[in-house]
Amino acid sequence: MSLAKKIRYGFMKDVGAPAVMGLASSRKKKRTHTPKPYMGPGLKCAGRLKEIMTRHYFLSRYAEGAKPVAWVTSGAPVELLRPFGFYTVYPENHGALCGAQKMGPEMCSIAEEHGYHQDLCSYARIDLGHFLSGKTPVGKLPKPDLLFASNNICQTVVYWYKVLADQLNIPFILFDTPYNFHELNDVDLTYMVRQLEEMVPQLERISGKSFDEKKFRTMIGVARDSSALWGEVLASMKVRPAPMSIFDAFIHLAPIVSLRGLPVTLEYYQTLLDELKERNNNKIGAVIPERKRLMWDNIAIWYKVRDFSTLFAERGMNFVTATYTNAWAETISFMDESRPFESLARTYSRVILNNNLNHRLDLMERLIKEYQVDGLVIHSARSCKPYSVGQYDIKRLLMERLNIPSVVIEADITDFRAYSEEQARTRLEAFFEALEQ
Amino acid sequence: MARKEYLLKQKQLGRRLLGVFPAQYPKEILWAMNLLPVEIWDPPLESSNANAHLQPYICSVVKQGLELILQGKADMLEGFLFPHTCDSIQNLASIINDYLKLEKPCFFFYHPKAPYHACSRDYYLDQMRLLITSLERDFGPMDPAALGQSVEQGRRLSGIIREIYDLRSKGELSASNVRFYEVIRQGEYLHPDDFIPLLEEFVQTHKGKAQKGMPVLLSGVLPNPPEILEILDWIGARVVNDDFLSCSRRLLVPSSPEREPLEALADSYFAMPPCTTKNTPLKERVDYLLEMAKTSGAKGVIFTMVKFCEPELFDVPRVVKALKAAGIATLVIDVELNQGVSGQMATRVEAFLEMIS
Repeated sequence: MSLAKKIRYGFMKDVGAPAVMGLASSRKKKRTHTPKPYMGPGLKCAGRLKEIMTRHYFLSRYAEGAKPVAWVTSGAPVELLRPFGFYTVYPENHGALCGAQKMGPEMCSIAEEHGYHQDLCSYARIDLGHFLSGKTPVGKLPKPDLLFASNNICQTVVYWYKVLADQLNIPFILFDTPYNFHELNDVDLTYMVRQLEEMVPQLERISGKSFDEKKFRTMIGVARDSSALWGEVLASMKVRPAPMSIFDAFIHLAPIVSLRGLPVTLEYYQTLLDELKERNNNKIGAVIPERKRLMWDNIAIWYKVRDFSTLFAERGMNFVTATYTNAWAETISFMDESRPFESLARTYSRVILNNNLNHRLDLMERLIKEYQVDGLVIHSARSCKPYSVGQYDIKRLLMERLNIPSVVIEADITDFRAYSEEQARTRLEAFFEALEQ
Repeated sequence: MARKEYLLKQKQLGRRLLGVFPAQYPKEILWAMNLLPVEIWDPPLESSNANAHLQPYICSVVKQGLELILQGKADMLEGFLFPHTCDSIQNLASIINDYLKLEKPCFFFYHPKAPYHACSRDYYLDQMRLLITSLERDFGPMDPAALGQSVEQGRRLSGIIREIYDLRSKGELSASNVRFYEVIRQGEYLHPDDFIPLLEEFVQTHKGKAQKGMPVLLSGVLPNPPEILEILDWIGARVVNDDFLSCSRRLLVPSSPEREPLEALADSYFAMPPCTTKNTPLKERVDYLLEMAKTSGAKGVIFTMVKFCEPELFDVPRVVKALKAAGIATLVIDVELNQGVSGQMATRVEAFLEMIS
């Protein structure tokens, strides 16, 4: 690490970032929003969220050379990196950002020109497109010193990070979480705990810092409490009318994905939760009137979040729960500062995509009941096979068990070349009709 | 003897048939329990029923495997084993086990993924023990002595396959490309008692100077569609080695006979060739392919990519770049299993071979 870069980073953190945040918020004030009669008032917290995420990406430009930088997958146990002072960047979050800004095809095409097939995950193609061209809507991403992944969300991230490791010639650490075909067993647990323990000396070498176990335990506690708050944020949507929409949650999920284990995340979700409680007390809903309550399955269709938000809201339909947003709240109870390695293994190996499909079906059935869901929208995401393979059966089984109408939208998370507006609209119209019967 | 006829005969002999999805698993354990692994890679079926369960963007290995079950063509099998190969096979396993309710036992085998940790080997050993325990619940106890014998049989089998591959690489095997894979692929369902003699006979009848032809390597999941091999024979190209997941990537490195059987299997597993499904680092894979090209004199590599196969497709651009930099020509073609070879694809293969000749 260079001293000059450390000083520059410190300056930007203390002086540059607040100045940029001030500028961003003054710009925000100039914007005017036309209120929509079928939507409740926007969340006041949105401005604070924007500040946090802008600051995160702004500072990341100066992290290179000042702090060890890690590129991390969304399901990796980042708490282990925190005590070593890693600046963490989440390519999946960056991919979602590019998708929301409708840059998916442009970024993917760059990777495709270098031989990466259009059939591959579009988060990966966006990231490789960024890597090969430097293009990004966030200014600049720092080059990593470490690639840190877990295959608890998919094997794809491993293939993708393997390519990056080869290209950059940097270390790649994988937290290998055996898929739970049945319940988690002791053999798998021991394997995962040993892996985490074996990572410590590797991380010490890469970061040049000794492991501070006390700090690690604190981070575990902060991450658990943040996830618990995120769980409460989501649970606030059990109330009728729900105070926010799952489309809001897709956006407000950014800190729990990208800044997990940091105090700012804890602080942010407390603020958001307070606002949602206040809305519940005052019966302020996200959709006016809330006639139907829906559930979303799979990652968002990032380029359609705004359109879908309007499309459903104008029909009095609100998404009140999603398997996707729930993933960062689902396994929190396993986090335990007194058994940090074991609790990390338990937490991260039991996430939705690392569990068998029976588990997913039971979870969805529970969410449908708890959130009083009237219908289900299933995003069949071309990019995400572990999330999508099995959805046709889930649709059928939920209909058999709960007689709940549902629709499958064939699309992609960011690459809208794989999305047909006409086909989606036709299917949705049929779904809307079924919901009204 | 046709595959189905053979399998029926095996049942009559008292062997239990276990359907096994791709790719890596310790088959010696199955042999020791009098179970015959019947691998399901590319049944030649029209996918119709599977489309009700799987999206259009799922690979044909997974689709056709499910189709086999849904059409009732796997009824003679007494259960299924799913190695953890990729996301799609993982979820297919869960669909079959959790949703289809087949009344046949399903077994799972998770092999540790690279980059390996110090604990990976212990985990692999534990996984084999768990597999034995779970199989014993349905098929009765395994005789430890039988495992020792099947590990020894596995050693002999991999030894003879290795000899055949070496002969081919040195141009001392006269079999056509089509014939070579017809024989090698019988290992997907033959018991070693039958497969070893078949291979020995194959060596005896085909040991000899190979026909002249442009030496090439093949890479991918499996040699399908078979018409590609026919084209190569027709043009006069000689496949001198392969990097197929279903073939050479599963070729065990024989371990020491003194080793305890499970330790020997672990030795062999961790010494296996680089493979996308084990997340081998790219550099290792490139070095391996370069060495393979060097020893066999191959002038080019043809990558036959099964559509939507992520583990393979992610590796291709870097591997191709490195091979080209080393002067090895490459051709990448998309294939769908059992869909034949289009005129355009055949032309591309021909043009590629002309280019390197």
